Amino acid sequence: MRYKILTVDDSKTVRIIVKKAFKTFDCDIIEAANGVEGLASASKETPDLILLDITMPVMDGVEMLTKLKSDPALKAIPVIMLTAEGGRDNVLKIAKIGVRDYIVKPFKEEMLIEKCGRILDLKPLNEGPQKAKSIFDPATLLVVEDKPAIIQQIQEGLKHTPWKIHGVNTTGEGIDFCSKNTPDLIIISLSLPEDAAFTLFRLIRQNVKTKYTPIFALVVKTEMGAQQQAQQVGFSYIVTKPIEVPELESKIAKAMNLDTSQRYFTLDSDIFIMRLPENTSQTVVGEVLNYLKPKISEAVDAGIVKAVIDLHELKGLNMAVIKLLIQAMQTCKDLALQYTLVGNSQIASECKGFEDTRNWQFHESLADAKASLSRSPAAPAQPAVA
Amino acid sequence: MSEKEPLTLQTLMPTIDQISESLFRETISRAVQDVFKTMLGKTTVLVNTEGSLVADAPAWEQPVQITGQQVVGTVGFIGDISGLIYLYLDAAFANEIASHMLGMSDAELEEAGDEVVNDAVGELTNMTVGTFKNQLADKGFPCKLTIPSILRGSNFSIEPISSATRRIYRFQIGAHQLVADLLMKTGDA
Repeated sequence: MRYKILTVDDSKTVRIIVKKAFKTFDCDIIEAANGVEGLASASKETPDLILLDITMPVMDGVEMLTKLKSDPALKAIPVIMLTAEGGRDNVLKIAKIGVRDYIVKPFKEEMLIEKCGRILDLKPLNEGPQKAKSIFDPATLLVVEDKPAIIQQIQEGLKHTPWKIHGVNTTGEGIDFCSKNTPDLIIISLSLPEDAAFTLFRLIRQNVKTKYTPIFALVVKTEMGAQQQAQQVGFSYIVTKPIEVPELESKIAKAMNLDTSQRYFTLDSDIFIMRLPENTSQTVVGEVLNYLKPKISEAVDAGIVKAVIDLHELKGLNMAVIKLLIQAMQTCKDLALQYTLVGNSQIASECKGFEDTRNWQFHESLADAKASLSRSPAAPAQPAVA
Repeated sequence: MSEKEPLTLQTLMPTIDQISESLFRETISRAVQDVFKTMLGKTTVLVNTEGSLVADAPAWEQPVQITGQQVVGTVGFIGDISGLIYLYLDAAFANEIASHMLGMSDAELEEAGDEVVNDAVGELTNMTVGTFKNQLADKGFPCKLTIPSILRGSNFSIEPISSATRRIYRFQIGAHQLVADLLMKTGDA
């Protein structure tokens, strides 16, 4: 849900600063320049929060607040005073009329966000629209682990990714990092002394900026108690030591909502290529299946008429892979996409062993496959499969 | 206990004359520093080198020097203690402040015009005078702020009426100077 925040201030400068502060959050800012306009906007828009100045022409903030609180329809709207009018006695007097917080100007944007974040469940905007981020985009990962060897193992294992992995050894450094940066994902070792990992988890969740950042727990496989606790607290995923890096990588990609389709589907000038990796595990099959139909439709939509299914890296067949391939070919046929296969000798000979795959014909290289497609441009769906 | 109260109140009730010069200086200094640090990330230093600008000089005999285009923000405070503060900024500094506060480029600011700069300077003055008078309020002089106003020009001087005391403070903020002109009503003295 998109929140509405009403800022009532005679200074356009303040209203611009407020807008700027909330720009990266999922909320709309409504403006009013005095108490009268403020009351009108409050009844018309019923905002989720009002930021209210005091010294304003026409109707000041104290009068507006008093009227707001005596209106049954409006009195429940939380109000934060945002004003240069401070002083202990004054603040106490106004607080009694009923405000949720009181910010005395000058103020920092972060402080404003922090205080509003205690009242509204503010979500950073990049949650939604940016979810099409792909595995080729840079991202910042924070690893909080007291054993440098583990940090190194993760950094080493993921060095082929565009992700920047920042390792720290203590909770303090972790909090410090989060206050200056917004990591895309955080990994916390449960082996940190005391209950530091859980304390850190809570602190990160309390911060508006990192409220929705995925947090992984890192724990030794046999420590069932700690794993259970991490699950209950709400860690996004539990990574067990010894770490299986490819598994960790795919979990990170999933948690960050990354588009991994480019790993399997590419366009080579006018040819659509679907490629299966050497180790096409059950997880990979699932991933490819998810992308299969939308990707092929997208290609057809873009005017592509030729496809290559490239299996030259694939080590071996199993039922899941075969089912996936059959579905891929069927989808190509349904959309009148002319396709051909590339495979190594191992795959070609394995195919002879199954009823469904015995007639599949393979080219030895991608170049051969492309050449064969260009030789028969007019023949639609003259596939190698019967 | 209750018998003593009237006596205590009487002796402790501060009057404007009891606010020392150093307190005024510290209060305005803290206000300027706080506002410029929080809103602009800038460090300010009180400059008291020139004789005429020493804080406790009878300053209306030495009016504020104006060279070049100036933007002057004013906000008053009214209550148990009343007065006005003028903040003098040269036009380039005023533009720099506005572009920083609003997150606008020089070109955007140029397009937006003087009104936007005036508003930013007005708000900065409002915050500064607010921080100044809030400290005094906590020391027993409650008062309220007035709505800011802006003066622009290159050849003018501001003269207080004789029933006001005037104190002028000059601050160095990076390459720029800021003059704070504090006028206090002395009617109840």
